[in-house]
Amino acid sequence: MVDYDPTLIGKVFEITEPVLVTPEMIREFCEALGETNPLYTDAEAAKNGPYGGIIAPPSFAVTFRNGRHFFQNIPRFGRAGFDAGKDVEFVAPLRPGDKVTLNSSVKEIYEKTGRSGTMVFVVVRSTLKNQRGEVVAHIDHRFMHRT
Amino acid sequence: MSDIVAIDRFENVQIGAAIGPEPMFLSKEQSRRYARACGLDAPRFTDDEGARKEGLPGMIIPGNMSLGLLTKLVTDWIGQSGARIVRIGTTYRVLVQPDHTISLQGFVTHTYPEERACEIDLWIENEDGERMVTGTATVQFPK
Amino acid sequence: MPTILDLHSHSEASEDSRAPVEAYLNWIKLRRQQLPLDGIVLTEHRQWNGGADYRALEDKYGIMVLKAAEVETDYGHVLVFGVNDDITARFDFANVRLPAQELIDEVARMGGLAVPCHPGRPNVGLVEHYERKPALENVVAVERLNGGSRKGENERSAELIARFGYKATGGSDSHLVSLIGLCATRFEAAIRSIDDLVRELKGGHYEPVDFRPRRPEVRRAEPVEASSHRG
Repeated sequence: MVDYDPTLIGKVFEITEPVLVTPEMIREFCEALGETNPLYTDAEAAKNGPYGGIIAPPSFAVTFRNGRHFFQNIPRFGRAGFDAGKDVEFVAPLRPGDKVTLNSSVKEIYEKTGRSGTMVFVVVRSTLKNQRGEVVAHIDHRFMHRT
Repeated sequence: MSDIVAIDRFENVQIGAAIGPEPMFLSKEQSRRYARACGLDAPRFTDDEGARKEGLPGMIIPGNMSLGLLTKLVTDWIGQSGARIVRIGTTYRVLVQPDHTISLQGFVTHTYPEERACEIDLWIENEDGERMVTGTATVQFPK
Repeated sequence: MPTILDLHSHSEASEDSRAPVEAYLNWIKLRRQQLPLDGIVLTEHRQWNGGADYRALEDKYGIMVLKAAEVETDYGHVLVFGVNDDITARFDFANVRLPAQELIDEVARMGGLAVPCHPGRPNVGLVEHYERKPALENVVAVERLNGGSRKGENERSAELIARFGYKATGGSDSHLVSLIGLCATRFEAAIRSIDDLVRELKGGHYEPVDFRPRRPEVRRAEPVEASSHRG
């Protein structure tokens, strides 16, 4: 069985400093994914669209990262963690000018075996909020540690 | 850019309908560009030598980039229908390396007529037809 | 009357699957031509989902839903059919280091059957463990055809089965709706319950069946210069 302090589950170690979403960040992100959807790339067209202006592509939400305190406090097992997968719930669109904060906690820890050996999964749940305190997205991030 | 045939309205969503395949050559430059755009400076995402020092076979693309490409497959399919992707989940089964042709694919697997929503299976295949990344998404159409 | 069952599948009750049982059944119903299945067996990871009741869905779709479990042992992953209170009291299914020999012997004694799955898979399959440790005793059947296998893994499973004379099963190992039923097992006898299934797995005649479509040729994409991504 995995050995860890069960009181860590659900604890929020820090709320990150707000990150300003700029039009350049969205443009670079779109270019990197080959994105051409006018909702995300064409200010003129987007103005008359359902959002009244450019929004970021939904997956832009996963680019916000936890801070130092968070990683200092979450449990570690064996070697460095790998990204094993994510579950993302998109709640509200992100727009240029939004200021995004992230708060994260450990949701779950479990052990399983697979092709590469025994692994411990640490599931981190992050909630993104904008400057109005509205939830933008919930992200469950599965970190896989080989033991 | 995308050859995906977009859906126009919920009434035309059919269980079993294929989304893609959308083949693409994933270059090292595109992978580096994604890493740069997201502030990911780990060597495994930017150069082969650095990746090998981390015990990897060579450069890999970030998991988030796979998630981004699959999300884009769904938003390309949604097109101008006014629908919204409300959830996506991904599992990274095999490392995805740039300088290969990958194929993005999906299937509509279930519909919820009362909610005007549908579920989609998603995956990224390599040249051998192996599913390197799998996922599911939920799409909500306007009520 | 023969019965075709997918003996290995995971629903959203497993931590790594998002597939609702109803979506599995609807998918099979809509594709009966390609997937002539009579039922599926849910083998959720490291747990016994005893409380789940799928009878209403079975009636709605006319497809049988049986329950088993996939547990993890010192010889790799094992499907446990015929799970009952005695078995769950004896073994903690969440333990990823269950002793395989004890599991096989005790499950059989308590009225079930333990079937090692994907034996050709590295680390979690019998083949690799047999190279380092004595072969398990009293194994009746193992999974020959697994829908989640990587290149060469099902072939290694087939070699092991030929060498040891085990009976052979098939299952999709599906975690996605669109993969359900692509590998399955055809039994000569009629199966209507988990007791029938355990009886047939122990003493009946069956073989794995493969419903995977031939892979269509995917056109290769041409390399695109980075600059053409702009604009």
